[in-house]
Amino acid sequence: MIELLLIIFISFFLGLFYSFLIRKFSARLQWRIGPLIFMYKDLRSIMGITRIIQPLYDIIKLFGKRTIIPESSRKRLFIYSPYISLIFAFTSIFFIPFSSIPLLSNIPYSIVIVSYLLIGSLLFMIIGPIASGSPWAFIGVRREAELFLVAEFSFIISLFSMAISKNSLIIWEISTKEFNLINITAGLLMFTSILGKLHIKPFDMSEAEAEIVAGPYTEYSGKLLGIYYLTKIFLIYDFIALFISIFTPINTLPIYLSIPLFLIISIFIIFILSIIHVLNPRYRIKNALIWYIKIISILCLINIIAMVI
Amino acid sequence: MSLLKKSRIYSPWLYHLHCGGCNGCDIEILAALSPRFDVERFGIQLVTSPRHADILLITGPMTKQILPMAKRVYEQVPEPKVVVAIGSCACGGGIFYDQENYAIIGIPNSVIPIDVYVPGCPPKPEAIINGIIQGILKLSKKS
Repeated sequence: MIELLLIIFISFFLGLFYSFLIRKFSARLQWRIGPLIFMYKDLRSIMGITRIIQPLYDIIKLFGKRTIIPESSRKRLFIYSPYISLIFAFTSIFFIPFSSIPLLSNIPYSIVIVSYLLIGSLLFMIIGPIASGSPWAFIGVRREAELFLVAEFSFIISLFSMAISKNSLIIWEISTKEFNLINITAGLLMFTSILGKLHIKPFDMSEAEAEIVAGPYTEYSGKLLGIYYLTKIFLIYDFIALFISIFTPINTLPIYLSIPLFLIISIFIIFILSIIHVLNPRYRIKNALIWYIKIISILCLINIIAMVI
Repeated sequence: MSLLKKSRIYSPWLYHLHCGGCNGCDIEILAALSPRFDVERFGIQLVTSPRHADILLITGPMTKQILPMAKRVYEQVPEPKVVVAIGSCACGGGIFYDQENYAIIGIPNSVIPIDVYVPGCPPKPEAIINGIIQGILKLSKKS
């Protein structure tokens, strides 16, 4: 019971830390400084001591701003879908094991529950902007929906190929079985889907800043935008924790080893994601779909061969 | 200082509105965001929708053509908000200002309430950053 309460804070602060790290790594790779870890001494009285929780400041500030609801929107859907999206993302943290602590991941069919919750969260991130009635949001949402379909395909295939090869639908059982070739091939498939789901650079065409204003979130402001940012914080944690717990043998280790290892691996994954984010241009949606179909079909073939072996 | 006030100071998001002019100030604003000055270290970000913004940066003399759009963008920035006029043109018409000019309003304060003026043609990125920080301090005092 205490773990379930603790994981709320752990996931929240890890999510904040990961999104800070993405900003920091991207800035350093672009020869910028990014949010400061230690503020300059003479500015500390005005600008604070550290900016490690910069994403939290962004969210709190958004909560303190006035929320504008456009006349042309479908108001109920527009207002409630950020909250529903947040609930889905928030609930899924309980079903993903955190470094040797099973939480609720040892209940039957937990892999199905997690995949439903994560899909549901992303779905309401699409439905809310549709209700906003903005043409920019429509363009962004159309791209998001197309990307969602292909990224979801690789997500589901990688999860269930693991389930079939380990002969279980319980995340905790899958994660504690022995490490073999399928972990690597299915892990690669999952990594490609994470790129699309977290909008890492070649696949950020749905948010395409400046090109289509702010994409799906163009009409969102104040509290509702803050809720979407909060959802993203939880989603970053969800995907990274799911990736680490299913595809690495970390849950078989004792807890005092697995927590530092979890942190090291997650920071390494964030570093790789940041490198990909910085080095790539933005794909058009057509290019992204072709890339996904090519890569997924090759990886699926390798995955099937690995499953047979 | 409450957490909300702190957050307003720590994470100001800018929306850049170009109201005519020669593009000189716009290049200087981008220079303030580029690696040499990099205002993101203070949490300042350029956003692309006025609905996400806290601080509206106005450049150029207000032309009569852009007036309705500028008013609309100003109204779309949710409260609390601050307007920073960047460059001589945005401060008072600059070299384009003439009372008989048929195309330019000249003093944007009559249309949009401006909180901070940053003069210069174009102002240096240091001056722009100083202007933004003055704007942030005004923002934190607004309820």
